[in-house]
Amino acid sequence: MSDVTCAAGVERLMDYLEDVLPTDVRAALEAHVARCPRCMAFIASYVETPRILRQATAVALPAEQQQALRVFLRAYRHGAGTDI
Amino acid sequence: MVHEVETSDEDLAAMASAGDASAFEQIVERYQGRVYRLACRLTENDSDALDVLQDTFLQVFRHLASFRGESQFGTWLYRIATNAALMHRRARARQPAESLEAFLPRFDSSGMHRQTPAELQVVARAEELLDRQLLAERARDAIRRLPELYRVAFVLRDLEDMPTVDVAEVLGVEPATVRQRVHRARLMLRGYLSHLAGGAA
Repeated sequence: MSDVTCAAGVERLMDYLEDVLPTDVRAALEAHVARCPRCMAFIASYVETPRILRQATAVALPAEQQQALRVFLRAYRHGAGTDI
Repeated sequence: MVHEVETSDEDLAAMASAGDASAFEQIVERYQGRVYRLACRLTENDSDALDVLQDTFLQVFRHLASFRGESQFGTWLYRIATNAALMHRRARARQPAESLEAFLPRFDSSGMHRQTPAELQVVARAEELLDRQLLAERARDAIRRLPELYRVAFVLRDLEDMPTVDVAEVLGVEPATVRQRVHRARLMLRGYLSHLAGGAA
């Protein structure tokens, strides 16, 4: 159980981080990572990835578009008289 | 002194459904920023995202009466927005995006990482090495290049920060399936960011 490879560890990384692995698998994975600098580096970058992309894509809705949406929806609600 | 308690989404939905226009506008106000951000993450460009934004709230308005409170209102609304974004994408004739498969991690024959720890860690420096605007553009482009199943799961789980079980509910799949898709997306995107940061170093 102790001879986990980097590849096998990577396959289970998401399940590990979400804490859904069986205890023995989890322990074997941790034992491998504890003595594998490559896996430590890989995990750090794996965890960073969503955070970097979340920040890079965090756009805000411009005020004029908020206004446009309001106007559009009001027109729709009042329009045609069918779909109030 | 009166403390105003914020009306719950579910109460607002019931009021809007009964014809209260201001309740509907409050729902829009509460969610428009999140829907727009989600739409930007799932579509090709800002103009598509604005279409999805409009379409989402039109559908919310039309279907308010069918919201029964079996799921949380936010989850229900995210499902509508996600589907609106996907329909919008499918309606467009797009050139196929170049795959990110090439950025998956590589191992030697014994299953060990091929790259050194320093090479594996370069992702962490993406933000310091890359211009903010460039990173934003590349991030959007990379997400767009993911296979659709992975992209949607990744955007909801990791970018919108929804719990895995909620993503599973929005997509109508098992949590294990969500985890598997998000994992594949993370692996590709990690490799892509690493490539970007490595190239900039």
